Amino acid sequence: MKNNKAFSLKRWLNKESSAGVVFTLPFSVGFLLFMIVPMGISLYYSFCDYDILSPPVFQGVKNYVKMFTDDPTFYKSLKVTFYFALVSVPLRLIFALLVAMILQKTTKATGFYRAAYYLPSIIGGSVAVSILWKRMFASDGIVNTLLGFIGISTSFAWLGNKHTAIWTLIILAVWQFGSSMLIFLSSLKQIPTSLYEAANVDGANKFRQFFNITLPLLTPTIFFNLVMQMINGFLAFTQCFIITQGKPMNSTLFYTVYMYQQSFEFYNTGYGAALAWVMLLIIGLMTLFLFATKKFWVYDGGF
Amino acid sequence: MKKKLALGMAIITALSLTACGGNSGSNGTTAAPGNTEAAEAGASAGGSNNLIVSWWGNQTRNERTQEALDLYSEQNPEVTFDGQFAEWADYWNKLATSSAGHSLPDVVQMDYKYLKQYVDNNLLVDLTPYIEDGTIDVSNVSENMLNSGKVGDGIYAISLGINAPALLYNKTLLDENGITVKDNMTMDEFMDLSREIYEKTGYKTNVAYNNGDNFIEYTVRSEGKVLFEEGKLGVDSADQLLPFFQIYEIGMNEGWHVDPSIFAERTIGSVEQEPLVYGSTPANMSWCAFYYSNQLTAMQKAAPEGMEIGMTTWPSDDPVVSNYLKPSQFFSITVDSKNPAEAAKVLDFFTNSEDCNNILLAERGVPISSLVAEAIAPKLDDMDQEVIRYINEVVTPNSSTLNPPAPDSSSEVYDLIDKLEEKLCYGEIDAAQAANELFEGGNKIMSGN
Repeated sequence: MKNNKAFSLKRWLNKESSAGVVFTLPFSVGFLLFMIVPMGISLYYSFCDYDILSPPVFQGVKNYVKMFTDDPTFYKSLKVTFYFALVSVPLRLIFALLVAMILQKTTKATGFYRAAYYLPSIIGGSVAVSILWKRMFASDGIVNTLLGFIGISTSFAWLGNKHTAIWTLIILAVWQFGSSMLIFLSSLKQIPTSLYEAANVDGANKFRQFFNITLPLLTPTIFFNLVMQMINGFLAFTQCFIITQGKPMNSTLFYTVYMYQQSFEFYNTGYGAALAWVMLLIIGLMTLFLFATKKFWVYDGGF
Repeated sequence: MKKKLALGMAIITALSLTACGGNSGSNGTTAAPGNTEAAEAGASAGGSNNLIVSWWGNQTRNERTQEALDLYSEQNPEVTFDGQFAEWADYWNKLATSSAGHSLPDVVQMDYKYLKQYVDNNLLVDLTPYIEDGTIDVSNVSENMLNSGKVGDGIYAISLGINAPALLYNKTLLDENGITVKDNMTMDEFMDLSREIYEKTGYKTNVAYNNGDNFIEYTVRSEGKVLFEEGKLGVDSADQLLPFFQIYEIGMNEGWHVDPSIFAERTIGSVEQEPLVYGSTPANMSWCAFYYSNQLTAMQKAAPEGMEIGMTTWPSDDPVVSNYLKPSQFFSITVDSKNPAEAAKVLDFFTNSEDCNNILLAERGVPISSLVAEAIAPKLDDMDQEVIRYINEVVTPNSSTLNPPAPDSSSEVYDLIDKLEEKLCYGEIDAAQAANELFEGGNKIMSGN
């Protein structure tokens, strides 16, 4: 009996489909334990009055009702987050494309420049860079010093003004254009040179070539970058948490930071979980919307 | 070449996918890592003679507390400790998540602000039996100090030191300009002083900007009210909140209050970045700071060379009613402790052992046992002597009982106060509007709707 069992286990392991299961185990176990289960728990908490210290008490959709009917800060943070994502993402993509176009030509120094421009994307989300950013835009920081050199002497507090504070965060986000740039770069290289040669023969100038050849053929890449970066934009946290904490007057309060405050500063953890699920819904809808527009502007044909 | 590029692209895609996956993970429940950490802490506890003691604080406190615990282990070789410390904000996050996992440390440093919340949720052990059977000797502790750890009928926390509100000021600057500060200033006297200093030196005033939880309580006390009652604010009308906001309104209008925008670049509440000791010009510095007496040493350490820090009372129209002695922080025993009896002995050690307090040296405030306070006095430096003098001679004769611990929703109300203060200082609203909004908003938060 025992032998028989061992035998069947061996046979099972030798099947191709079981190999797949075994090899994906490290991921799937982690995914289930640390993503799906906590997500399920947070969905439950979002229907509860929960303050971490005492056990959750089920209270139906009260959290959601409160959010939409009685919480101005919710709308405020939503507005700030949309503003941030809708401004910073297009700017970042334009920047990424611009730099990718410049770095497209291969010379000896290209490798260095590609690495150099990619660097901010690796370190940009870190706490250290956020602190650096905070110092740069301080009233006695390097930005004002540089302005002093070109004759604009000022001790303007960029982070202390409700109109400029959000822009320091946007600029930081735009600066991290590296990953989009690399993706653009590889797509640019895949556009056949024969198209440009033909355009040259027909007498099209560089601008015509860009708008009639490069841009249309890049639209699938632009679409991909747009979706990915939009999701990241909505989930931005560190920059705001470290640099501004939502100040001044909630003008930079990101949705995720508000969620953190509710969950871990005011101990309205159930409410925080509800906020998280609404954000998930919003991102889902945004992505769906982008996919719906796909057929109007994304070129899917061959070269 | 093309293949390589495709591979590179795949890697980047994978990277950005995981990056976004990671984000949405933390989006779901950020509590998860805290929980595992807490579980680990629980697992490492092992035998019941290993006690976990946790506290928040600065480097000096970490070293001294660890040393004191080592001394206890030396005297009681069967007991070992696992000392855990964190910064204030992290500390409370960690404690809350451990409580959810039923793996709280045996002994926790507790703050007055959170005491009621933890007791209401049945997370702390009532110490009354240990006090009655003499395990914790309180014969040399004043009734008031002992009662500060009382919630309902039980005593849930033992104070580690006595503290009092203290206005720390730039003594050097004031001396140079022939300006003197007297104790127990009224609000008007304080504002006159701020004006005078601003005119003579250009130095401004920081009235505990966005760090004024305790100062608003203090001004409300001067009218014989408490800020929080059960389910509502303790004041009868917005008028009683008005004097607090008026200081900011007047200060901003007359120019002697520091500009709120300077705080965008600093960590509020950090001694090192306080405008009293940190800043480039008098315009972004303050002559004073609203703190507590046990922070005098830290502030003096943070001060630039040649700046002497003085100490006086916070301004109030009725200092005797407003002022109070406060436990700087407590030790409590949690319900998750497997050996509360031994933990109680540790509390006694911190309260009554001279050897222990010779190591701690009043870093958490003046020891609550009068015997111990006397015994260690000669070993303290001038700064700490000054703190003891301030507590005994200035505050003790001119103070009244401390308010009860703040209830659950207080942190949300404090946040509202900060937000209103911010709007007021940026000129978006006036003091009357701020007081009204706090009265309405605060009551709404407290009532739980």
